[in-house]
Amino acid sequence: MADKTVILKIKRQLTPNGKSYWEEFSVPYRPNMNVISALMDIAADPVTRDGKATTPITYDSNCLEEVCGSCAMLINGKARMACSALIDQLEQPIRLEPFSKFPVVRDLATDRSVIFENLKAVKAWVPIDGTYDLGAGPRMTAEDQEAAYPLSRCISCCCCMEACPQFNEDTGFVGAATISQVRLFNTHPTGKALQRERLAALMGDGGIQECGYAQNCVEVCPKDIPLTKSISEVGGQVMKQALGDMLRR
Amino acid sequence: MASASSSAPVLEHGVAPLRAGQGISFVLRRLHSLTGIIPVGAFLFEHILISNSTAIGQNGPSAYARQVSFLANLPLVFFLELFGIWIPIAYHALYGFYIWYRGEGNTVSYPWTGNWMYTLQRWTGAIAFIYIVWHTYTMRFTGIDLHDHPLASFGKVQGEVIHTPLFLFYVVGLVAASWHFAYGIWLFSAKWGIVSGDKAQKRLLRACLVFFLLLCGVGLASLYSFRSRPIADDDQNRAMIQSHEKPGGQATDRKGAQ
Ligand code: SF4
Ligand code: SF4
Ligand code: FES
Repeated sequence: MADKTVILKIKRQLTPNGKSYWEEFSVPYRPNMNVISALMDIAADPVTRDGKATTPITYDSNCLEEVCGSCAMLINGKARMACSALIDQLEQPIRLEPFSKFPVVRDLATDRSVIFENLKAVKAWVPIDGTYDLGAGPRMTAEDQEAAYPLSRCISCCCCMEACPQFNEDTGFVGAATISQVRLFNTHPTGKALQRERLAALMGDGGIQECGYAQNCVEVCPKDIPLTKSISEVGGQVMKQALGDMLRR
Repeated sequence: MASASSSAPVLEHGVAPLRAGQGISFVLRRLHSLTGIIPVGAFLFEHILISNSTAIGQNGPSAYARQVSFLANLPLVFFLELFGIWIPIAYHALYGFYIWYRGEGNTVSYPWTGNWMYTLQRWTGAIAFIYIVWHTYTMRFTGIDLHDHPLASFGKVQGEVIHTPLFLFYVVGLVAASWHFAYGIWLFSAKWGIVSGDKAQKRLLRACLVFFLLLCGVGLASLYSFRSRPIADDDQNRAMIQSHEKPGGQATDRKGAQ
Protein backbone atom coordinates (compact mmCIF):
# COMPACT_ATOMS: atom_id res chain seq x y z
CA MET A 1 0.00 0.00 0.00
CA ALA A 2 1.67 3.12 -1.20
CA ASP A 3 -0.77 5.75 0.02
CA LYS A 4 -2.14 6.10 3.50
CA THR A 5 -5.86 5.57 3.87
CA VAL A 6 -8.46 6.34 6.49
CA ILE A 7 -10.83 3.58 7.53
CA LEU A 8 -14.31 4.54 8.72
CA LYS A 9 -17.04 2.30 10.11
CA ILE A 10 -20.35 4.04 9.77
CA LYS A 11 -23.68 3.07 11.27
CA ARG A 12 -26.37 3.64 8.67
CA GLN A 13 -30.14 3.74 8.75
CA LEU A 14 -32.19 4.58 5.70
CA THR A 15 -35.48 5.61 7.29
CA PRO A 16 -36.50 6.87 10.73
CA ASN A 17 -37.92 3.51 11.72
CA GLY A 18 -35.63 1.36 9.55
CA LYS A 19 -33.07 -1.12 10.76
CA SER A 20 -29.54 0.09 11.26
CA TYR A 21 -26.51 -1.60 9.74
CA TRP A 22 -22.77 -0.93 9.48
CA GLU A 23 -20.76 -0.08 6.39
CA GLU A 24 -17.02 0.29 6.15
CA PHE A 25 -15.26 2.84 3.98
CA SER A 26 -11.71 3.63 3.12
CA VAL A 27 -10.75 7.08 1.86
CA PRO A 28 -7.34 8.43 0.85
CA TYR A 29 -5.53 10.23 3.63
CA ARG A 30 -4.76 13.93 3.33
CA PRO A 31 -3.14 16.09 5.97
CA ASN A 32 -5.52 17.99 8.31
CA MET A 33 -8.59 15.95 7.38
CA ASN A 34 -11.56 16.00 9.66
CA VAL A 35 -14.56 13.70 9.90
CA ILE A 36 -16.75 15.94 7.72
CA SER A 37 -14.16 16.11 4.96
CA ALA A 38 -13.90 12.31 5.06
CA LEU A 39 -17.69 12.12 4.72
CA MET A 40 -17.45 14.49 1.74
CA ASP A 41 -14.89 12.18 0.17
CA ILE A 42 -17.25 9.25 0.61
CA ALA A 43 -20.08 11.27 -0.97
CA ALA A 44 -17.85 11.95 -3.98
CA ASP A 45 -17.33 8.22 -4.47
CA PRO A 46 -19.87 6.23 -2.45
CA VAL A 47 -18.30 2.79 -2.59
CA THR A 48 -17.77 0.63 0.48
CA ARG A 49 -14.41 -0.76 1.44
CA ASP A 50 -15.21 -4.10 -0.18
CA GLY A 51 -16.15 -2.42 -3.45
CA LYS A 52 -19.96 -2.32 -3.24
CA ALA A 53 -21.69 0.77 -4.59
CA THR A 54 -23.82 2.47 -1.96
CA THR A 55 -25.50 5.80 -1.20
CA PRO A 56 -23.69 8.82 0.23
CA ILE A 57 -23.89 9.20 3.99
CA THR A 58 -26.52 11.61 5.27
CA TYR A 59 -25.34 13.96 8.00
CA ASP A 60 -25.94 17.52 9.14
CA SER A 61 -23.29 20.17 8.82
CA ASN A 62 -23.09 23.80 7.98
CA CYS A 63 -20.45 26.11 9.38
CA LEU A 64 -17.53 23.66 9.42
CA GLU A 65 -15.97 25.69 12.22
CA GLU A 66 -17.77 24.47 15.32
CA VAL A 67 -20.21 27.33 15.66
CA CYS A 68 -23.47 26.09 14.13
CA GLY A 69 -23.98 22.98 16.22
CA SER A 70 -25.37 20.82 13.46
CA CYS A 71 -22.69 18.16 12.90
CA ALA A 72 -22.85 16.44 16.31
CA MET A 73 -22.54 12.64 16.21
CA LEU A 74 -20.93 9.78 18.08
CA ILE A 75 -17.31 9.51 17.02
CA ASN A 76 -15.58 6.45 18.45
CA GLY A 77 -18.42 6.24 20.93
CA LYS A 78 -18.28 9.80 22.19
CA ALA A 79 -20.56 12.74 21.47
CA ARG A 80 -18.67 15.45 19.59
CA MET A 81 -18.67 17.73 16.58
CA ALA A 82 -17.59 16.07 13.35
CA CYS A 83 -16.16 19.23 11.81
CA SER A 84 -13.65 19.71 14.61
CA ALA A 85 -12.81 16.01 14.96
CA LEU A 86 -9.40 15.78 13.30
CA ILE A 87 -8.61 12.45 11.67
CA ASP A 88 -5.02 12.65 12.89
CA GLN A 89 -6.24 12.55 16.47
CA LEU A 90 -8.67 9.65 16.07
CA GLU A 91 -8.05 5.98 16.53
CA GLN A 92 -8.85 3.94 13.41
CA PRO A 93 -11.12 2.47 12.25
CA ILE A 94 -13.12 5.56 13.09
CA ARG A 95 -16.59 4.58 14.26
CA LEU A 96 -19.34 7.03 13.32
CA GLU A 97 -22.82 6.61 14.78
CA PRO A 98 -25.85 8.87 15.05
CA PHE A 99 -26.72 10.17 18.51
CA SER A 100 -28.36 7.36 20.45
CA LYS A 101 -30.94 9.38 22.35
CA PHE A 102 -32.46 11.33 19.49
CA PRO A 103 -34.66 9.99 16.69
CA VAL A 104 -32.63 9.16 13.61
CA VAL A 105 -33.75 10.94 10.47
CA ARG A 106 -31.32 9.09 8.25
CA ASP A 107 -27.79 7.75 8.78
CA LEU A 108 -25.97 10.23 11.02
CA ALA A 109 -28.65 12.92 10.92
CA THR A 110 -30.81 13.05 14.03
CA ASP A 111 -33.80 15.13 15.06
CA ARG A 112 -32.63 17.24 17.97
CA SER A 113 -35.58 19.61 18.00
CA VAL A 114 -36.31 18.66 21.62
CA ILE A 115 -33.72 21.22 22.69
CA PHE A 116 -35.77 23.97 21.05
CA GLU A 117 -38.92 22.75 22.78
CA ASN A 118 -36.98 22.91 26.04
CA LEU A 119 -35.62 26.38 25.33
CA LYS A 120 -39.15 27.53 24.58
CA ALA A 121 -40.44 25.94 27.80
CA VAL A 122 -38.00 28.02 29.86
CA LYS A 123 -38.50 31.17 27.77
CA ALA A 124 -34.85 31.40 26.85
CA TRP A 125 -35.05 34.92 25.46
CA VAL A 126 -34.98 38.55 26.49
CA PRO A 127 -38.54 39.96 26.40
CA ILE A 128 -38.37 43.21 24.43
CA ASP A 129 -41.32 42.89 22.10
CA GLY A 130 -43.93 45.57 22.55
CA THR A 131 -45.99 48.21 20.84
CA TYR A 132 -43.57 51.06 21.52
CA ASP A 133 -39.83 51.62 21.68
CA LEU A 134 -38.56 50.62 25.11
CA GLY A 135 -35.37 52.62 24.72
CA ALA A 136 -31.93 51.47 25.75
CA GLY A 137 -31.77 48.61 28.22
CA PRO A 138 -30.02 48.80 31.59
CA ARG A 139 -26.27 48.37 31.58
CA MET A 140 -24.70 45.08 32.57
CA THR A 141 -21.76 45.09 34.94
CA ALA A 142 -18.47 43.89 33.53
CA GLU A 143 -18.55 41.03 35.99
CA ASP A 144 -21.95 39.85 34.75
CA GLN A 145 -20.78 40.18 31.17
CA GLU A 146 -17.83 37.97 31.91
CA ALA A 147 -20.04 35.32 33.45
CA ALA A 148 -22.63 35.54 30.69
CA TYR A 149 -20.39 35.49 27.64
CA PRO A 150 -19.20 31.87 27.94
CA LEU A 151 -22.82 30.76 28.40
CA SER A 152 -23.86 32.60 25.25
CA ARG A 153 -21.52 30.40 23.20
CA CYS A 154 -23.89 27.42 23.33
CA ILE A 155 -24.46 26.06 19.83
CA SER A 156 -27.41 23.79 20.71
CA CYS A 157 -25.48 20.75 19.52
CA CYS A 158 -26.97 18.51 22.25
CA CYS A 159 -23.64 16.77 23.02
CA CYS A 160 -24.21 17.51 26.70
CA MET A 161 -27.58 15.76 26.55
CA GLU A 162 -26.40 12.74 24.60
CA ALA A 163 -23.58 12.11 27.10
CA CYS A 164 -25.76 12.63 30.18
CA PRO A 165 -26.74 9.42 32.00
CA GLN A 166 -29.89 11.12 33.21
CA PHE A 167 -31.05 12.22 29.76
CA ASN A 168 -33.27 9.42 28.46
CA GLU A 169 -36.85 8.50 27.71
CA ASP A 170 -37.58 7.42 31.29
CA THR A 171 -36.62 10.72 32.89
CA GLY A 172 -37.44 13.13 30.06
CA PHE A 173 -34.69 15.28 31.55
CA VAL A 174 -34.32 18.77 30.11
CA GLY A 175 -30.52 18.54 29.92
CA ALA A 176 -27.64 20.80 30.83
CA ALA A 177 -27.79 23.20 27.87
CA THR A 178 -31.26 24.50 28.69
CA ILE A 179 -30.40 24.88 32.38
CA SER A 180 -27.34 26.87 31.39
CA GLN A 181 -29.42 29.08 29.12
CA VAL A 182 -31.72 29.79 32.06
CA ARG A 183 -28.68 31.05 33.91
CA LEU A 184 -27.68 33.18 30.91
CA PHE A 185 -31.05 34.86 30.56
CA ASN A 186 -31.50 35.26 34.30
CA THR A 187 -28.19 37.14 34.33
CA HIS A 188 -29.41 39.58 31.71
CA PRO A 189 -30.85 42.77 33.28
CA THR A 190 -33.90 42.74 30.99
CA GLY A 191 -34.05 38.97 30.66
CA LYS A 192 -34.44 38.80 34.45
CA ALA A 193 -38.08 39.81 34.01
CA LEU A 194 -38.88 36.18 33.20
CA GLN A 195 -36.72 34.63 35.92
CA ARG A 196 -39.65 33.44 38.03
CA GLU A 197 -41.28 31.69 35.08
CA ARG A 198 -38.03 30.09 33.97
CA LEU A 199 -37.26 28.70 37.39
CA ALA A 200 -40.84 27.50 37.82
CA ALA A 201 -40.57 25.69 34.48
CA LEU A 202 -37.38 23.95 35.63
CA MET A 203 -39.29 22.56 38.61
CA GLY A 204 -41.65 20.65 36.34
CA ASP A 205 -41.21 16.96 35.59
CA GLY A 206 -37.97 16.41 33.72
CA GLY A 207 -36.59 19.56 35.32
CA ILE A 208 -33.32 20.37 37.03
CA GLN A 209 -33.95 17.85 39.81
CA GLU A 210 -33.18 14.99 37.42
CA CYS A 211 -29.51 15.95 37.19
CA GLY A 212 -27.35 13.38 38.96
CA TYR A 213 -24.23 15.53 38.72
CA ALA A 214 -22.24 13.00 36.72
CA GLN A 215 -20.49 15.95 35.04
CA ASN A 216 -20.28 14.33 31.60
CA CYS A 217 -21.99 17.38 30.11
CA VAL A 218 -19.19 19.73 31.05
CA GLU A 219 -16.61 17.26 29.75
CA VAL A 220 -18.14 16.84 26.30
CA CYS A 221 -19.32 20.40 25.66
CA PRO A 222 -17.40 21.53 22.58
CA LYS A 223 -17.73 25.16 23.61
CA ASP A 224 -16.29 24.62 27.11
CA ILE A 225 -19.36 26.04 28.77
CA PRO A 226 -19.17 25.76 32.57
CA LEU A 227 -22.30 23.61 32.66
CA THR A 228 -21.94 22.15 36.14
CA LYS A 229 -21.48 25.62 37.56
CA SER A 230 -24.65 26.66 35.74
CA ILE A 231 -26.51 23.67 37.16
CA SER A 232 -25.37 24.59 40.67
CA GLU A 233 -26.18 28.27 40.27
CA VAL A 234 -29.60 27.61 38.79
CA GLY A 235 -30.11 24.85 41.37
CA GLY A 236 -29.59 27.51 44.03
CA GLN A 237 -31.97 29.94 42.30
CA VAL A 238 -34.61 27.25 42.01
CA MET A 239 -34.31 26.27 45.68
CA LYS A 240 -34.48 29.89 46.79
CA GLN A 241 -37.64 30.41 44.79
CA ALA A 242 -39.21 27.14 45.96
CA LEU A 243 -38.48 27.80 49.63
CA GLY A 244 -39.43 31.47 49.34
CA ASP A 245 -42.76 30.55 47.79
CA MET A 246 -43.37 28.05 50.55
CA LEU A 247 -43.01 30.82 53.12
CA ARG A 248 -44.50 33.76 51.29
CA ARG A 249 -47.31 32.42 49.13
CA MET B 1 -30.18 21.45 12.93
CA ALA B 2 -31.96 18.44 11.69
CA SER B 3 -35.56 19.23 11.46
CA ALA B 4 -37.03 16.20 9.87
CA SER B 5 -38.90 16.45 6.62
CA SER B 6 -42.65 16.68 7.07
CA SER B 7 -43.12 12.94 6.60
CA ALA B 8 -40.62 11.99 9.30
CA PRO B 9 -42.07 11.37 12.76
CA VAL B 10 -40.95 14.38 14.78
CA LEU B 11 -40.39 13.52 18.45
CA GLU B 12 -42.42 10.38 18.11
CA HIS B 13 -39.74 8.61 20.01
CA GLY B 14 -36.87 10.23 21.70
CA VAL B 15 -36.71 12.10 24.95
CA ALA B 16 -39.77 14.17 25.83
CA PRO B 17 -39.37 17.92 26.27
CA LEU B 18 -39.54 19.58 29.70
CA ARG B 19 -43.01 19.37 31.30
CA ALA B 20 -43.09 22.87 32.79
CA GLY B 21 -45.54 23.18 35.65
CA GLN B 22 -46.33 19.46 35.72
CA GLY B 23 -45.80 16.79 38.34
CA ILE B 24 -44.23 16.66 41.79
CA SER B 25 -40.94 14.96 40.96
CA PHE B 26 -39.10 18.13 41.95
CA VAL B 27 -40.34 17.92 45.53
CA LEU B 28 -39.81 14.17 45.73
CA ARG B 29 -36.27 14.36 44.37
CA ARG B 30 -35.24 17.27 46.57
CA LEU B 31 -36.75 15.47 49.55
CA HIS B 32 -34.63 12.45 48.64
CA SER B 33 -31.59 14.67 48.58
CA LEU B 34 -32.47 16.35 51.88
CA THR B 35 -33.27 13.14 53.78
CA GLY B 36 -29.83 11.87 52.80
CA ILE B 37 -28.28 14.66 54.84
CA ILE B 38 -30.93 15.16 57.52
CA PRO B 39 -31.82 12.92 59.24
CA VAL B 40 -30.12 9.90 57.62
CA GLY B 41 -26.65 11.38 57.30
CA ALA B 42 -26.88 13.10 60.64
CA PHE B 43 -27.80 9.77 62.20
CA LEU B 44 -24.82 8.08 60.56
CA PHE B 45 -22.62 10.84 61.95
CA GLU B 46 -24.02 10.29 65.45
CA HIS B 47 -23.87 6.51 65.15
CA ILE B 48 -20.25 6.25 64.05
CA LEU B 49 -18.53 9.31 65.44
CA ILE B 50 -20.40 9.69 68.73
CA SER B 51 -21.97 6.39 69.78
CA ASN B 52 -19.64 3.78 68.32
CA SER B 53 -16.54 5.72 69.17
CA THR B 54 -17.31 5.21 72.86
CA ALA B 55 -16.47 1.53 72.33
CA ILE B 56 -12.86 2.44 71.62
CA GLY B 57 -10.34 2.10 74.38
CA GLN B 58 -9.93 0.65 77.83
CA ASN B 59 -13.37 1.53 79.18
CA GLY B 60 -15.06 0.72 75.89
CA PRO B 61 -17.62 -1.79 77.13
CA SER B 62 -19.02 0.32 79.93
CA ALA B 63 -18.85 3.60 78.04
CA TYR B 64 -20.63 1.96 75.15
CA ALA B 65 -23.30 0.55 77.44
CA ARG B 66 -23.82 4.00 78.94
CA GLN B 67 -24.25 5.51 75.48
CA VAL B 68 -26.74 2.82 74.42
CA SER B 69 -28.62 3.30 77.65
CA PHE B 70 -28.71 7.07 77.10
CA LEU B 71 -30.13 6.63 73.60
CA ALA B 72 -32.58 3.94 74.68
CA ASN B 73 -33.92 6.25 77.36
CA LEU B 74 -34.56 9.21 75.10
CA PRO B 75 -38.18 10.28 75.39
CA LEU B 76 -40.50 8.66 72.83
CA VAL B 77 -37.57 6.69 71.50
CA PHE B 78 -39.78 4.52 69.31
CA PHE B 79 -41.21 7.53 67.50
CA LEU B 80 -37.76 9.07 67.21
CA GLU B 81 -36.60 5.88 65.53
CA LEU B 82 -39.68 5.61 63.35
CA PHE B 83 -39.82 9.18 62.05
CA GLY B 84 -36.19 10.14 62.53
CA ILE B 85 -34.53 7.03 61.09
CA TRP B 86 -36.62 4.25 59.62
CA ILE B 87 -39.08 6.16 57.46
CA PRO B 88 -36.44 8.60 56.14
CA ILE B 89 -34.02 5.75 55.37
CA ALA B 90 -36.75 3.73 53.68
CA TYR B 91 -37.74 6.75 51.61
CA HIS B 92 -34.18 7.67 50.73
CA ALA B 93 -33.40 4.07 49.75
CA LEU B 94 -36.52 3.27 47.79
CA TYR B 95 -36.57 6.55 45.92
CA GLY B 96 -32.84 6.06 45.37
CA PHE B 97 -33.45 2.72 43.69
CA TYR B 98 -36.06 4.40 41.53
CA ILE B 99 -33.52 7.04 40.50
CA TRP B 100 -30.97 4.34 39.74
CA TYR B 101 -33.47 2.42 37.66
CA ARG B 102 -34.24 5.45 35.51
CA GLY B 103 -30.63 6.53 34.98
CA GLU B 104 -28.52 5.11 32.17
CA GLY B 105 -24.98 4.66 33.43
CA ASN B 106 -22.48 5.14 30.63
CA THR B 107 -19.02 4.81 32.15
CA VAL B 108 -18.00 2.60 29.23
CA SER B 109 -18.28 5.44 26.71
CA TYR B 110 -17.46 8.23 29.13
CA PRO B 111 -15.00 6.86 31.70
CA TRP B 112 -14.49 10.09 33.62
CA THR B 113 -14.18 10.61 37.35
CA GLY B 114 -17.49 12.40 37.86
CA ASN B 115 -19.28 9.73 35.89
CA TRP B 116 -17.64 6.94 37.90
CA MET B 117 -18.66 8.72 41.07
CA TYR B 118 -22.23 8.87 39.75
CA THR B 119 -22.19 5.09 39.31
CA LEU B 120 -20.37 4.49 42.58
CA GLN B 121 -22.96 6.57 44.44
CA ARG B 122 -25.61 4.09 43.28
CA TRP B 123 -23.63 0.99 44.21
CA THR B 124 -22.52 2.28 47.60
CA GLY B 125 -26.11 3.24 48.31
CA ALA B 126 -27.32 -0.26 47.51
CA ILE B 127 -24.59 -1.94 49.56
CA ALA B 128 -25.20 0.38 52.49
CA PHE B 129 -28.92 -0.29 52.29
CA ILE B 130 -28.54 -4.08 52.32
CA TYR B 131 -26.15 -3.76 55.21
CA ILE B 132 -28.42 -1.41 57.15
CA VAL B 133 -31.47 -3.67 56.75
CA TRP B 134 -29.51 -6.65 58.04
CA HIS B 135 -27.85 -4.64 60.82
CA THR B 136 -31.15 -3.21 62.02
CA TYR B 137 -32.76 -6.62 61.89
CA THR B 138 -30.11 -8.40 63.92
CA MET B 139 -29.34 -5.59 66.36
CA ARG B 140 -32.76 -4.13 66.91
CA PHE B 141 -35.30 -6.84 66.20
CA THR B 142 -33.65 -10.14 67.03
CA GLY B 143 -31.80 -11.48 70.02
CA ILE B 144 -31.63 -9.62 73.29
CA ASP B 145 -33.42 -6.25 73.25
CA LEU B 146 -30.75 -3.63 73.87
CA HIS B 147 -33.26 -0.99 74.83
CA ASP B 148 -34.15 -3.10 77.85
CA HIS B 149 -30.65 -4.37 78.43
CA PRO B 150 -28.11 -1.73 77.36
CA LEU B 151 -25.37 -3.46 79.32
CA ALA B 152 -25.53 -6.38 76.95
CA SER B 153 -24.85 -4.20 73.93
CA PHE B 154 -21.07 -4.54 73.76
CA GLY B 155 -21.35 -8.29 73.99
CA LYS B 156 -24.09 -8.44 71.38
CA VAL B 157 -22.02 -6.59 68.80
CA GLN B 158 -19.01 -8.66 69.79
CA GLY B 159 -21.01 -11.81 69.17
CA GLU B 160 -21.33 -10.75 65.55
CA VAL B 161 -17.99 -9.19 64.67
CA ILE B 162 -16.09 -12.11 66.16
CA HIS B 163 -17.11 -14.07 63.07
CA THR B 164 -14.75 -13.00 60.31
CA PRO B 165 -17.30 -12.99 57.44
CA LEU B 166 -19.68 -10.86 59.48
CA PHE B 167 -16.82 -8.61 60.53
CA LEU B 168 -15.95 -8.11 56.86
CA PHE B 169 -19.60 -7.38 56.12
CA TYR B 170 -19.46 -4.70 58.82
CA VAL B 171 -16.36 -3.22 57.21
CA VAL B 172 -17.91 -3.21 53.73
CA GLY B 173 -21.11 -1.64 55.06
CA LEU B 174 -19.12 0.98 56.95
CA VAL B 175 -17.00 1.97 53.97
CA ALA B 176 -19.98 2.02 51.58
CA ALA B 177 -22.17 4.09 53.89
CA SER B 178 -19.32 6.48 54.73
CA TRP B 179 -18.51 7.09 51.07
CA HIS B 180 -22.15 7.44 50.12
CA PHE B 181 -22.63 10.05 52.83
CA ALA B 182 -19.36 11.94 52.31
CA TYR B 183 -19.81 12.21 48.54
CA GLY B 184 -23.51 12.82 49.14
CA ILE B 185 -22.64 15.97 51.08
CA TRP B 186 -20.69 17.16 48.06
CA LEU B 187 -23.53 16.31 45.68
CA PHE B 188 -26.04 18.02 47.95
CA SER B 189 -23.98 21.21 48.07
CA ALA B 190 -23.51 21.18 44.30
CA LYS B 191 -27.14 20.48 43.42
CA TRP B 192 -28.67 22.90 45.90
CA GLY B 193 -26.36 25.63 44.71
CA ILE B 194 -24.61 25.99 48.07
CA VAL B 195 -21.17 25.52 46.51
CA SER B 196 -21.10 26.27 42.78
CA GLY B 197 -17.66 27.45 41.69
CA ASP B 198 -14.99 25.12 40.36
CA LYS B 199 -12.40 25.93 42.98
CA ALA B 200 -14.87 25.92 45.83
CA GLN B 201 -16.25 22.56 44.72
CA LYS B 202 -12.74 21.10 44.60
CA ARG B 203 -12.03 22.38 48.07
CA LEU B 204 -15.27 20.92 49.38
CA LEU B 205 -14.48 17.61 47.69
CA ARG B 206 -11.20 17.43 49.57
CA ALA B 207 -13.00 18.16 52.82
CA CYS B 208 -15.52 15.41 52.04
CA LEU B 209 -12.67 12.99 51.40
CA VAL B 210 -11.19 13.81 54.79
CA PHE B 211 -14.61 13.33 56.34
CA PHE B 212 -14.91 9.94 54.62
CA LEU B 213 -11.54 8.88 56.03
CA LEU B 214 -12.58 10.09 59.47
CA LEU B 215 -15.82 8.08 59.37
CA CYS B 216 -13.96 4.98 58.18
CA GLY B 217 -11.12 5.44 60.66
CA VAL B 218 -13.33 5.85 63.70
CA GLY B 219 -15.69 3.13 62.51
CA LEU B 220 -12.83 0.68 62.01
CA ALA B 221 -11.28 1.58 65.34
CA SER B 222 -14.52 0.80 67.14
CA LEU B 223 -15.01 -2.40 65.16
CA TYR B 224 -11.48 -3.41 66.07
CA SER B 225 -12.20 -2.69 69.70
CA PHE B 226 -15.27 -4.98 69.60
CA ARG B 227 -13.29 -7.71 67.93
CA SER B 228 -10.10 -7.49 69.94
CA ARG B 229 -11.45 -7.50 73.48
CA PRO B 230 -11.58 -10.92 75.10
CA ILE B 231 -14.99 -12.52 74.98
CA ALA B 232 -14.69 -15.21 77.58
CA ASP B 233 -15.40 -14.13 81.13
CA ASP B 234 -16.11 -10.66 79.88
CA ASP B 235 -18.01 -8.49 82.32
CA GLN B 236 -20.37 -7.45 79.56
CA ASN B 237 -21.27 -11.02 78.84
CA ARG B 238 -21.91 -11.61 82.48
CA ALA B 239 -24.08 -8.54 82.47
CA MET B 240 -25.90 -9.90 79.46
CA ILE B 241 -26.63 -13.15 81.25
CA GLN B 242 -27.67 -11.33 84.41
CA SER B 243 -29.93 -8.98 82.58
CA HIS B 244 -31.58 -11.93 80.97
CA GLU B 245 -32.45 -13.07 84.45
CA LYS B 246 -33.49 -9.66 85.75
CA PRO B 247 -35.02 -7.87 82.77
CA GLY B 248 -34.67 -4.14 82.83
CA GLY B 249 -32.78 -3.95 86.08
CA GLN B 250 -29.32 -3.34 84.74
CA ALA B 251 -29.96 -0.24 82.72
CA THR B 252 -31.41 1.75 85.56
CA ASP B 253 -28.76 0.56 88.01
CA ARG B 254 -26.06 1.65 85.70
CA LYS B 255 -27.60 5.02 85.11
CA GLY B 256 -28.16 5.57 88.78
CA ALA B 257 -24.49 4.95 89.40
CA GLN B 258 -23.44 7.79 87.14
S1 SF4 C 1 -24.10 16.90 35.58
FE1 SF4 C 1 -24.40 14.84 34.77
S2 SF4 C 1 -26.53 14.37 35.19
FE2 SF4 C 1 -26.28 16.58 35.33
S3 SF4 C 1 -26.73 17.35 33.31
FE3 SF4 C 1 -24.51 17.04 33.40
S4 SF4 C 1 -24.18 14.98 32.59
FE4 SF4 C 1 -26.35 15.15 33.11
S1 SF4 D 1 -24.10 23.39 26.31
FE1 SF4 D 1 -22.35 22.75 25.06
S2 SF4 D 1 -22.75 20.62 24.61
FE2 SF4 D 1 -24.65 21.47 25.32
S3 SF4 D 1 -25.76 22.11 23.52
FE3 SF4 D 1 -24.61 23.89 24.22
S4 SF4 D 1 -22.66 23.81 23.15
FE4 SF4 D 1 -23.61 21.81 22.92
S1 FES E 1 -20.60 22.07 10.95
FE1 FES E 1 -21.16 23.67 12.31
S2 FES E 1 -20.49 22.87 14.19
FE2 FES E 1 -19.75 21.37 12.82
